[in-house]
Amino acid sequence: MTSVTAAAESASKTAPSSKKPRRFLRGEEITAWWFVLPSFALLLIFVFYPMLQAFVISFQNYNLVGSTRSFIGLDNYKSLMTDRDFLASLRHSFHFAIVVIPIQTAISLGLALLIQKKFKLTGLFRTLYFIPVVISTAVAATVFKLIYNKEFGILNNVLKTLHLPTTNFLSNPDTAMNGVIMLGIWKGVGFFMIIFLAGLNNIPQDLYEAARVDGATKIQQFFRITLPLLNRTTAFVVIMTTIDAIKLSGLVFVLTSGGPNGATETAVYYIYKMAFQQMQMGYGTAAAFILFAIVLAISLVQMRLFRNAEH
Amino acid sequence: MNRFASIAKYTVMTVLAVISIIPILWMISGSLRPYEELFKYSSSLNIHLFVPVQPTLANFKEVIFSEGNPFLRYIANTLFVAGIVTLLVLLVNSMSAFAFAKLRFRGKAIVFALFMSAMIIPGEVTLVPNYLLMNYFGWLNSYKALVIPSMLSVFGIFLLRQFFAEIPDEILEAAKIDGASMTRTFSSIVLPAAVPPMITLALMTFLGNWDSYLWPLIVINDEKKQMIQVAIATFSSVEGTDWSKILAASTISTVPILILFLFLQRYYIQGITMSGVKG
Repeated sequence: MTSVTAAAESASKTAPSSKKPRRFLRGEEITAWWFVLPSFALLLIFVFYPMLQAFVISFQNYNLVGSTRSFIGLDNYKSLMTDRDFLASLRHSFHFAIVVIPIQTAISLGLALLIQKKFKLTGLFRTLYFIPVVISTAVAATVFKLIYNKEFGILNNVLKTLHLPTTNFLSNPDTAMNGVIMLGIWKGVGFFMIIFLAGLNNIPQDLYEAARVDGATKIQQFFRITLPLLNRTTAFVVIMTTIDAIKLSGLVFVLTSGGPNGATETAVYYIYKMAFQQMQMGYGTAAAFILFAIVLAISLVQMRLFRNAEH
Repeated sequence: MNRFASIAKYTVMTVLAVISIIPILWMISGSLRPYEELFKYSSSLNIHLFVPVQPTLANFKEVIFSEGNPFLRYIANTLFVAGIVTLLVLLVNSMSAFAFAKLRFRGKAIVFALFMSAMIIPGEVTLVPNYLLMNYFGWLNSYKALVIPSMLSVFGIFLLRQFFAEIPDEILEAAKIDGASMTRTFSSIVLPAAVPPMITLALMTFLGNWDSYLWPLIVINDEKKQMIQVAIATFSSVEGTDWSKILAASTISTVPILILFLFLQRYYIQGITMSGVKG
């Protein structure tokens, strides 16, 4: 509460000399602080304090089970740099991200273009495309686990009908990540379709009419009008997709538990395993910081690239 | 040519729509059939891949009333937690959004910037310290750990602030002159004017909490208190073989949410559009 009274005091000192508005502003200021206080307290306790704490813990050897806790400097970071499992988990996250970013972005833009023009069934199609977004991660992963099942999953059924070789996606280390990728895209496209749709609706229609008068084809219109004017939306979608993809964890937890043979163990899964199964709190948090730094760096580079594209 | 193009377009749209919903339809139909049937008709593409031959509700009965996996209880737990979190999120964040939109106070710009900067702090980094904090408060294995840290929604503040800012100042001035306190003005003028964004925030918060998996997995140990998503995930790895029961459990946890979404989808979509505007 000291902040409230301090703010009120400094208000009374610096407020202009006319008496009435000053008291009025002071009352408003106190009320304002009361209104902000609950969420501000939550912000400090559950976001900023843990962030500082995380920074401190990442320099410690902190084991919750043995209740050991000692400062070890950069040792966590140093050993992570040569930790094969951690580096492999980063590779898996990047594998997922590099495949998902272009495919998912292209499909969601495609879907948005398909349903942009209003006709009778637009609403229905939009709802159908969006439904996977509402399905919870655990349920989606569970159902896909069955769909991939070699004996009775429908995916192999379809493959068989098309005379393609059947496979149990998830038990083969070489293909398991593809299983995760397909599920990720299935669940992700609808969300970004909506964002693209909003972006498309912001493009003035008369630009297209002018282009048509000038004899531009649909394809020319797409590359000369739609894509350039959609640049900010695309930037947002690509950056968000990148962040989400690199931080992938939930789907992997349920679909593969990181298996087979660690082939789908992503960085966040590794962090969870270190911190909450092996109880190496310091080591896990240091890994989280490295991941955070990587994600931040990539986002900044992407922002730069999209801004350059705009000019 | 034009006709051909539009037929092609419809075909593509339909195929994509089928891919979007087939897993869900398959889940629902699988939950309605006996275990043996799941295998029997799966060797080739035929109508019974989706239409049960002998429809049964036995899977649901077993899943709901079984002693080992009382799914009704998990659903009740999750409804309780997600419901309370939603109410508190609406209250706490609408209050500060109002202050940011309409009240004058020193340090407003800085405090608001602090809130917005929290959007880039990833939950993965603060996971361990937050767990330790719960441990320190003695909230592990209690719903306090699920409810209290979830009460803050920076996105909610951002969303509501924009709607509150559009309320004309004259109305608030008039209320003040009539002697209404700020709290009174807030609850009887500002909130009623912001029902649509409040529904958006409520829906997004509720679904987010209904879906939450990692945090409850970490902070809740007592099986009886567990949330639905963790229960489903555990069930599908433990009972590894009884797939039709797993499908039934997934179905009961999904269908109510789907219905809720179908009725309120325009609010949900509005919320996503807003999150895109931010970028």
